[in-house]
Amino acid sequence: MQREEKQMEMTLDAILSRLNDLKMSIGGMIQKLETEYEIINWPTFLDNFAIISSHLTGLSKILAKEVCPPLRNRTVLPLMLSQDRDESLINLTQGRVPVFSHDIVPDYLRTKPDPITEQKLIQGEQKAANLTAEVAMKQVTQYNKVVSHVLDMVCKAREEWEIESSTRAGIQQTSSMADTHALVSAVGMGKGLKANVSLNVATGSANMMVPPLRASAPMTSVSPGGVGQINKAPSGIKTNIKPAMQVHQFTR
Amino acid sequence: MQMTQITNSKELLSTALQSRIIPNQEFLLQGSILDSAVDHLIHRLRGLCDTVDASPEQFHDLEVCLSLRQPTQTAPLMLRVRRALDRDSPFQLRYIGQPELDRSRPTLVRSSIDVGCTSTILDFLTELGCRLDFEYVSRGYIFRKGRMKITVSKIKAVPGKQQEIGSETVSQSYLVELSVLAPNGQDSIGDEMRIFAEQLKPLVQLEKIDYKRLGGLP
Amino acid sequence: MGVTVLLPYQIPEGKTGAQAIDYLTKRLLALGAIHTGQFLVDCETYISTPQHGPAKTVHVLHDSEYPASTFSILDNGAGKQIPLVADNLFDLLMLKMTSVYTSKKQTKIESKGARFEYGDFLIKLGSVTMMENFKGILIEIEYRPCVVLSYCWEMIRETLQGFLGMPIAKEYPAYFSQQIMNTMGQQQIHTKQNEVYEPIDTINQYLESFTNYRKQNVLPVAGGATGGASSAQNAAANMQGGNQRMR
Repeated sequence: MQREEKQMEMTLDAILSRLNDLKMSIGGMIQKLETEYEIINWPTFLDNFAIISSHLTGLSKILAKEVCPPLRNRTVLPLMLSQDRDESLINLTQGRVPVFSHDIVPDYLRTKPDPITEQKLIQGEQKAANLTAEVAMKQVTQYNKVVSHVLDMVCKAREEWEIESSTRAGIQQTSSMADTHALVSAVGMGKGLKANVSLNVATGSANMMVPPLRASAPMTSVSPGGVGQINKAPSGIKTNIKPAMQVHQFTR
Repeated sequence: MQMTQITNSKELLSTALQSRIIPNQEFLLQGSILDSAVDHLIHRLRGLCDTVDASPEQFHDLEVCLSLRQPTQTAPLMLRVRRALDRDSPFQLRYIGQPELDRSRPTLVRSSIDVGCTSTILDFLTELGCRLDFEYVSRGYIFRKGRMKITVSKIKAVPGKQQEIGSETVSQSYLVELSVLAPNGQDSIGDEMRIFAEQLKPLVQLEKIDYKRLGGLP
Repeated sequence: MGVTVLLPYQIPEGKTGAQAIDYLTKRLLALGAIHTGQFLVDCETYISTPQHGPAKTVHVLHDSEYPASTFSILDNGAGKQIPLVADNLFDLLMLKMTSVYTSKKQTKIESKGARFEYGDFLIKLGSVTMMENFKGILIEIEYRPCVVLSYCWEMIRETLQGFLGMPIAKEYPAYFSQQIMNTMGQQQIHTKQNEVYEPIDTINQYLESFTNYRKQNVLPVAGGATGGASSAQNAAANMQGGNQRMR
């Protein structure tokens, strides 16, 4: 018995904290809309929505969980109603419920269905009372037929939807850690690029010098004796330029 | 135009450093996206970034990494030269320092010096004593949001004669980088980047990655 | 941006550097040139450490006319020179290489002085100092509407003769008469004077002159050499004050 109570308490705590989260995010959203409605941008707005919906999902998950004792088996009984202001109640509800009177109890504690619902219920009961057993049987079989048909449709739709969502899960994988690492180390350290370089170190660097820009012309001005030495240079440079396949890439 | 006093360039540089106006720190987050989903990402970036109305800007660069052995230090000085293959623009010389992986920081931070220069730079560096480490071609799209830069690019090896055509792509994904170049002491930009990276989830997971820890050299 | 010719000025005998600058300034102002501030071209040279193979030299120059750029010229020691123009953050990169390339502080050299505009010409009178020692005077003259020297050398020559008050040789300056190599290293038929002029050409001329000054162990002007630079600067500063009053 005690264990059950403890479990109950834990569940209530969890629900309470979830509710608080939800309340805060809704409050935040309202505040944003009121104060920043001019500058708020779409991504932040959507972010806020996403947060709220995640809180809601979390809440419904807790409620749906089977380990927690079903809350609907519990009853809440109003022990005392009063017309006077109750300060502690105001505090507890943050100013929303000042009086615990018979006016609001049905709404807050769900002791009574909605008036409209109540009316409809009475109408239905009257209708049922007026029916003969034969007609009723007929209607039941007809109804069952319709329901089973709808069930079929829903099942089919669900199947289709599941197939689609499972394929979409594959698409949602849009990045791969291994690829990131491969790329980062290629760009950072040349991993996977170096083998290539060792094959054509000379041509690789020569490529970059090829563009026929005037500034790259060797200057001989400063050392008067340089002219003669420079004349020897062409042969060396020429051989480097030869691999034509690469040259086209850089002169494009 | 009256110049009262011409100051030495060295002094100008040190005052600029002291007053923290030289952007010498790079804040970086990296990730990747599979080829099949890249259009989706481009679409989202177009919506999020500054250039909403224009079509995304493309780039096609060759990046060459060189290193200069330093006798007194164990680690060589790493330099990179970048050259646009699709347009005529100045070459770019970059120095990138060791990454700081401070846990409290939301992004990877590394010192960085970007210098625009003439096309003689490769010849210059080679004669300076730098050795070619590796090179690659990156081709893709660039986006801006404020001072953040987002690139989505395909990394390819430079096709050599030994290489088969088509085998040059590094992976089946595009590299995604989110970076900001800022002066020292502007750490708040890191949080800004984190928030932006959140908006790209779950398409891309942008993270701080220390490539040195991704296994040893090949 | 036009064509620039750099000319080392032979200081007349019996004059100090400051006096020569003063003399040239007065002549320029008398011609109607307008003083438009100061200029500075500096050069620092880095040499590779011996462990790093054959010695290579990197000259790093700055020109106040191009305040966002750093000019570097790498000399590989085998007659090959590679120019590089980069953003001035390149200086920070040079600092990263200090373990391989060390700066030869005692050869830090600069040309500094007044800048004048004279019609289409830009004229700069620079006093060259190395380690606070006065080394000589460099005159920079730029003809701005044109980018090929052979089209405007006569005009530059005439202007130079006008304010220097001395004849200038009809031939193109040595820097412009060198043969141009194309990228394949083959010699082309035309020479530098027919090429489109670029800022790096100005830098090359400065480096050429700076290298010559560095080679000179004996100072050209014996007396008052050390004070020369600072008094030249003072003269320039005074002139500037006068110029402002004139406006």
